[in-house]
Amino acid sequence: MSKLVTTGLTKAFSGLVAVNDVSFTMEEGEILGIIGPNGAGKTTFIHLVSGILMPSSGRVEFKGKDITYMPAHERSRLGIARTYQLIHPLENLKVIENVMIGAVFSRGKSLKEARRSAEAICAELGLERLERDTAQLSILEIKKMEIARALANEPEVLFLDEVMAGLNSDETLQLIATVKRIALERKMAVGVVEHVMGVIRELTQRVIVLEAGELIAEGPYETVSKNPRVIEAYLGGAA
Amino acid sequence: MKLKSSYIVVAVLSVIAIAFPAFLGAYPLNVARSIMTYMALAISWDMLLRSGQISFGIAGLFGLGSYASALAVLRGGMDPMLSIVFAAAFAGVMAYALGFAILRLRSMYFSITTLALMEIFRIVMHNLHDFSGGPEGVVLPSVIFKGASPALYWLCLAGLFLTIGVSWFFEKSKMHLALTAIRNDETSARSSGVNIFNYLLIAFVITSVLQGMMGAIQVQSYGFTTPDTAFDANFTLLPLAMALLGGIHSTIGPMAGAVLLGVASEWLKLKIPYGHLVVYGIIIILVILFMPQGLFGLARKARRERSKAGASHE
Repeated sequence: MSKLVTTGLTKAFSGLVAVNDVSFTMEEGEILGIIGPNGAGKTTFIHLVSGILMPSSGRVEFKGKDITYMPAHERSRLGIARTYQLIHPLENLKVIENVMIGAVFSRGKSLKEARRSAEAICAELGLERLERDTAQLSILEIKKMEIARALANEPEVLFLDEVMAGLNSDETLQLIATVKRIALERKMAVGVVEHVMGVIRELTQRVIVLEAGELIAEGPYETVSKNPRVIEAYLGGAA
Repeated sequence: MKLKSSYIVVAVLSVIAIAFPAFLGAYPLNVARSIMTYMALAISWDMLLRSGQISFGIAGLFGLGSYASALAVLRGGMDPMLSIVFAAAFAGVMAYALGFAILRLRSMYFSITTLALMEIFRIVMHNLHDFSGGPEGVVLPSVIFKGASPALYWLCLAGLFLTIGVSWFFEKSKMHLALTAIRNDETSARSSGVNIFNYLLIAFVITSVLQGMMGAIQVQSYGFTTPDTAFDANFTLLPLAMALLGGIHSTIGPMAGAVLLGVASEWLKLKIPYGHLVVYGIIIILVILFMPQGLFGLARKARRERSKAGASHE
C-alpha cells in the first residue's frame, strides 16, 4: 500500500489557487523530489500534507486512512514529519530539547527515553555539544537540528523543505549522504524540495514538477529534466 | 553534588519560613502573608507566561476565588477550610469553560480579554445585591482559625508552597518543553506533536486554580471582602511587577521579585503613604527598559557570556 496519496488536492487563497488539483503517491523507501519554479506551490503542498494548512478541496490519505482535515499534531503522531524552508529553532530550549520534543509529544516517550533517542539521532547526523543554546549554532548545525527534530517523531513520511539552501557544496554533499543513509535504514518515504538540481539528481529516484500550483510532469529526474514543458516552466515561454 | 546542595538550601529556607511565627509578632506575620499572597500570584502568572500568553486577569480569578469561598460559607454553610478547596475548584471550572473561547486568542487580544473578564466578574458581584451583598460586599461570621496569626500565616504559606511545587513541576516535566515550544514557535510545536490548545488549557486552568485558592485564603483570613478589594487591580499589577523585576520564565525570579518589592513597599508605605505605587511604576519602567529579563535573566545572561568566553579559549 502507498504511504501517502493525495487526490485532487487544491488550495485557494481567496482567488489565488496555490495548489491546483494535485494527485500523487509516495511509496515506502522512496525519495521523491518536488521541484518547480518559485511560487509554484511546493511549500503550500507540504503545508497541506502535514496539516499546517487545510485544503480547499481534495483528499489526503496516509496508509489508506483519510487524514485530509486532521490537525498537524495528530499527523506528526501518525508518522508524518517535516522541516521548514524558513528555519524554526525553539530559541529558549537547548539543542537536545529542540530534538527531544518530537519524541516526547509525537511518540509519548518519557523525558529520559526521549533524551536518549534524541542523542542517538544527533550522533547519527553528526550534531555535537547538545547542551548549547540554539543561538550558538552555525547554519549547518541548525539545519541538522531541524532534521533531527523531524526524525525524533520517528516518521514514516518525511518532507525536507529546502534544507540544503544556504549550505556550501561540501556541507550539501555531506548532508545528502546522511539523508540517503537514514531514509534507507528506516525505510522512510522522503519528499525533498530543492532548487539545487544537483541535489535532486543525487538524492531522488523520482521527481514531480509543480508549476503555478499544477502538477505538470512526473518521472525520473533524467526524463523530467528533458521534458519541454518543464524547461519552459523554468526558462520561460520565450522560445 | 550541585543538585544535593540546592536541595539543602530549599529545605533550610522552608524550615525558616515555617518557623517564622516562633520569633515574629502579629504585624510582621501580616506583612509576610501579604508578600506570600503576591508571590504566589506572581509565580502563577509566570507559569502561564511561559507559554507566551500574558494574562491581565489575575485579580479576576483571585476575586472569583474570594467570593466563591465567602459565599460558600455564608450561603451554603460550608466549612471554611473546605470552602478554600471549593473556591479553587470553582476558579478552575470557570477557567476551563472560558478557556475554550479565550485561549484561541493570542498576544494583546488575549491580554485585553482577560482584563475585561476581571471587570465583568467585578461588575457582576457589584450588582448581585441579594446574593453577593453588592458594593458593600460580604462579611463572614468569623475569621478562620479564630484569627490566630500563626495559623493564618501557615495557611497562606501552605498555599504558597503548593504554588511553588506546581511551578517547579512545570519547570521539570514535559510541561516545560510544551509551553516553551508554544511560546517560541507554534508551528514547530504542532509539527512535533504538541497539542497546543490542550497545553494552554491545562496551564490556564491550573494557574486559575492557584489564583482562586489564594483569593479564598485571603478572604477567610480577613473575614470580609467587597468587589473593590477582591478584584483590586493591584492583584494583577503587583504580581506582574514582581515577576518582571525578579525575572520571568522561572520560579525563582518571581519569588525574588516578590520579596524585594514586597519589603520595599512596606517600608515605603511608612515613609511616603501611597508613594510606594509611584515607586512601583518607576521600577516597572526601568526594568522593561534596561533589563527586560529581570534580575535572574541578567544573571543567566552573564553566566552564558562567561561560558561562551570559556568555550572560545579551548
